[in-house]
Amino acid sequence: MNSESRTPTSAQVIAAIARREITLAMRRRLVKLLFLGNLLPPLVMGVILVVNTLVRGAGIENLEWDPLARLLQIQIAPVLFLALGIGTPLVARDRREDVLFLYATRPVTPWSYTAGKMLAVAVPALALLVIPAILIAILRMGLKADFGLLDSITLITKVVLVAVLVACGYSGVSVGPSAATKKARWALLLALMCFVIPSVASDIIWGHHGYALDPGQASEDVISALFDNDNVSQGVVGAFALVVWGVLGSFVTATRIRREMIP
Amino acid sequence: MNEPWIQLKNVHLSRGGRPVLKGVTADLAGRAIGLVGANGAGKSTLIGALLGVLKAESGMIHVLDLDLPRNAMQVRSRAGVMAEQAGVFPGGSGVDAVVFAAMLNGLSRRESLRKAHRALDALDVGEERYRPVRGYSTGMQQRCKLAMSLVHDPEILILDEPTVGLDPPGRTQLLNLIRDLRDEGRRILVSTHIMHDADFLCDELLLLEAGTVAFSGPIRDLIDTGVGVVVAAGEGLDAAFAETLGQRGYDIREQADEHITFEPNQDVELREFWQLAAERGAEVRALGRDLPSLESAVIRAMEHTDEQ
Repeated sequence: MNSESRTPTSAQVIAAIARREITLAMRRRLVKLLFLGNLLPPLVMGVILVVNTLVRGAGIENLEWDPLARLLQIQIAPVLFLALGIGTPLVARDRREDVLFLYATRPVTPWSYTAGKMLAVAVPALALLVIPAILIAILRMGLKADFGLLDSITLITKVVLVAVLVACGYSGVSVGPSAATKKARWALLLALMCFVIPSVASDIIWGHHGYALDPGQASEDVISALFDNDNVSQGVVGAFALVVWGVLGSFVTATRIRREMIP
Repeated sequence: MNEPWIQLKNVHLSRGGRPVLKGVTADLAGRAIGLVGANGAGKSTLIGALLGVLKAESGMIHVLDLDLPRNAMQVRSRAGVMAEQAGVFPGGSGVDAVVFAAMLNGLSRRESLRKAHRALDALDVGEERYRPVRGYSTGMQQRCKLAMSLVHDPEILILDEPTVGLDPPGRTQLLNLIRDLRDEGRRILVSTHIMHDADFLCDELLLLEAGTVAFSGPIRDLIDTGVGVVVAAGEGLDAAFAETLGQRGYDIREQADEHITFEPNQDVELREFWQLAAERGAEVRALGRDLPSLESAVIRAMEHTDEQ
């Protein structure tokens, strides 16, 4: 018997929940395929970068095309699949299996539960965005003589910023709906509605090239603003929208769970 | 006398506007405490309050000298809970679930794995620990739940209906395992409907009836509060004798030939019986006392509370 058992910190609890969910998710064939499939875009982008640099080196023509921004835009699609695939069953499954009280019998608060579940979506999403992007940034530094360390740090900071915002928004938009239902498929439908309805609303309010309210368009706007220096105000609104989705998802989850973590 | 590890003082708690615990007061010090009562008596609510999950409107709750709900996290990290309505953490194997339970209590992955296997070994869970929990039998689920509650080496165990749904051999095996844990020195609170389980495991009882305490204290005190049923045999113990005994405050259960079965209520020393036998010149050849079982003692205490 351990008479001096210490109360675990919130960080330990959050890490335990996130780790378990990621481990379980990685056993699923679809998630494995997504991760394996994700090796392809960085490879292709790497080849394009090499070709681009060789072309410039030969003095033929400068291909004005940034593979890093394109990579991030492409990677948003697998991140969406991953977030929906991992996130939407997370809380719904616990509610269906009636294990929420089981968490309450341990030193787990509704907020640490929520943070753990959100992190379980955010960490793989971050990995999908950051790792290939950093590989390309390093490759670029190696290939381009005029691309120094400071440029690399700036680039990596931008990539991390995009990744954190996207991970925040996408985890909120997948875990939040999961807390609202007991069935993963309903959660998936709800999550998809979070993409479609705000997008339609944005079109109605501002037209086709207006501010983004849905996480998908918001991600695009943030990438454009950071990498193409295009439409900064849209990028700021997009970043704000992603943060709001993250906060909203965690708030819905924690509020819902607090009521159900009882005997 | 041990120090109480659960202290409740005038605890009032409502759920959905309905009062569930109505002034519960008890000091419980037993190594194994049985929490018994009918459905809706407030057992699950009390467990929720003891873990700080449910907040009392008034009153004081102390577990291991820690005030609740303020120290809920400390109590939960020092307690192992086997909840009736909640199963095993879903999605993985049995060992995954037990490892996760340990990690939620702050143990490292390596330590959790080591302790999970140790707990599962102690509960005789063999290779089945590697199978998905979805396919587990009730018995295996209960073992896995017990392993989850034990894995972090808690000081106290709170077990909610641990033997529910088990077949007789499985039940006996699990009861023996819990008794061994008690004998190791762990303090246990067992919520159960099955009086045999409470009798087998517990030395103290908290009996709830409609949110109030019908009895709290050592089990032997509850059984001893009833004098029990007395069976007397002898010449002259006829129907007229039984009728007079009834008039003098005894409950006559049966009278046949020269046998009377009766409950003497408060007349522990059977004075009225002996006096009547002397008056009638009855010759008592045999007299035996049948002490009530825990079950009948509990029913009696619940009836007594209802009358009040």
